[in-house]
Amino acid sequence: MAAILQVERLSKKYSDGTAALSDVSFELEPGEFAAVIGLSGAGKSTLLRCINRLVEPTGGDVSFGGVRSAKASAHEVRLLRRQMGMIFQGYNLIQRVSVLRNVLHGRLGYVGPVRGALGLFSKQDVEEAKSILKRLGLEQQTYKRADELSGGQQQRVGIARALCQRPKLILADEPIASLDPVTAKIIMDNLHRICREDGIACIVNLHQVEVAKTYATRIIGMRKGKMVFDGRPEDLTDRMISHIYGESPDKE
Amino acid sequence: MEAQWLRIRRQKRVQTVTIVVLIAALVVWSAVQTKFHVLTVFGGLGEMGKLIVNDFLPPHPEALKGLIEPALDTIYMSVVGMVVGSLISAVLAFFAAATTTPHRIVLVLVRGFASVLRNIPGLIWALMLAFAYGIGTLVGTLAIIIYSVGSLVRAYAEILEEIDQSQLEAVKATGATFPQVLGQAVLPQFIPGFVAWSLYKLELNIRASTIVGMVGGGGLGFYIQNGLKLFHFRDVSMAIILMLVLIVVTEFFTNKIREKVI
Repeated sequence: MAAILQVERLSKKYSDGTAALSDVSFELEPGEFAAVIGLSGAGKSTLLRCINRLVEPTGGDVSFGGVRSAKASAHEVRLLRRQMGMIFQGYNLIQRVSVLRNVLHGRLGYVGPVRGALGLFSKQDVEEAKSILKRLGLEQQTYKRADELSGGQQQRVGIARALCQRPKLILADEPIASLDPVTAKIIMDNLHRICREDGIACIVNLHQVEVAKTYATRIIGMRKGKMVFDGRPEDLTDRMISHIYGESPDKE
Repeated sequence: MEAQWLRIRRQKRVQTVTIVVLIAALVVWSAVQTKFHVLTVFGGLGEMGKLIVNDFLPPHPEALKGLIEPALDTIYMSVVGMVVGSLISAVLAFFAAATTTPHRIVLVLVRGFASVLRNIPGLIWALMLAFAYGIGTLVGTLAIIIYSVGSLVRAYAEILEEIDQSQLEAVKATGATFPQVLGQAVLPQFIPGFVAWSLYKLELNIRASTIVGMVGGGGLGFYIQNGLKLFHFRDVSMAIILMLVLIVVTEFFTNKIREKVI
């Protein structure tokens, strides 16, 4: 199968000189569920944000659905973004508006700029948003304000918003890092199930190796901005884990 | 270690003493320059009391009939000043906030402009406008709008700079355009502060419109000024009471609205 996402020698150097990402390359096939593991500051977040251009890469290229992003115009970048849902550690919902409206934000890339700015979504979009909420077990919360929800519920709204984009790829940045283990499992189960059912490829940044091994079909290990492992979960040895997390005896 | 600790403490003490001495010197110097003397203050209090008791009390209830129109004028000026002022300021604030401005130079220009409007007192605006437009509520309203814009642009810009960027990031990540991010992510976070500040401005405007009125802006202020000139002190005291009532009532209602919105 043809890859939907190609990351080629992607690099990001911040203006203060830190190389957050250096020469990362990989390809992702449709339906893959990849987990990116590594310490905080290893470049996991930067990697995801360089893929959807929330962060401007300083080197390399990303090609998604055949479109190269390095030379893409602002308009083309928006077209790329609307096909990639993103889920955040802090949920990043608009706190003061309803759950339904937050989900509808997933359609912003598809409606006209004026209609979108005024929040005038079509009946069809509203119906779709409602059915997505139902699918995530949130129909009771549809008209509540986002800040009335628990963390786990907010993250499910985050998934719903991403899903409302009808994405080909979901980028999840530490989606469970702020949640307790039980809620974290619910979120990962939901994310995993939906990606499998809808055939959406997914890249999840995770802290916990165990969680990564449970769900992922592929694991990418990051260390100091470099990709140090890329393989199947079964191939991730304890030795490799120590290397990714920097506990190896051969100090650098 | 111990010696260093002692040295830091001694430094601190020297600092404190220096600051206290400096402030004391400043106070004495200012008092001498302005001929401020505690005895004169108390001497004046007696005169003031006599004036209030003999000339201002009791207030003239009959004056109320003639006061209704000026009071309404004051309310009109304040409300129009607040509505027009806050709308203009909201637009300008988007250019004056680091988070939403299209360019840094625009930010500096708009901030500078607002600062000029703000730092010239409303009283002076009214005096200058009275030259151009003559005496009347138009002058009062314009002066209040100008002064409101000066302070509200800054207040709104600060609200815009404090909004949660991660919420904007999420909406941007969906492929939204800049106007869509503004409408769907910035605006919901901006509204509560916008309402709170606008209502507070309304309270301030009621007060300011009295002062502005005294130099030709119309309304209660103009009435008070005229009354003082004609020695109709009992009418003036009635007008002052009405003004106080207006302020208290406005405060009460704006508080109610604020509770509802936030």
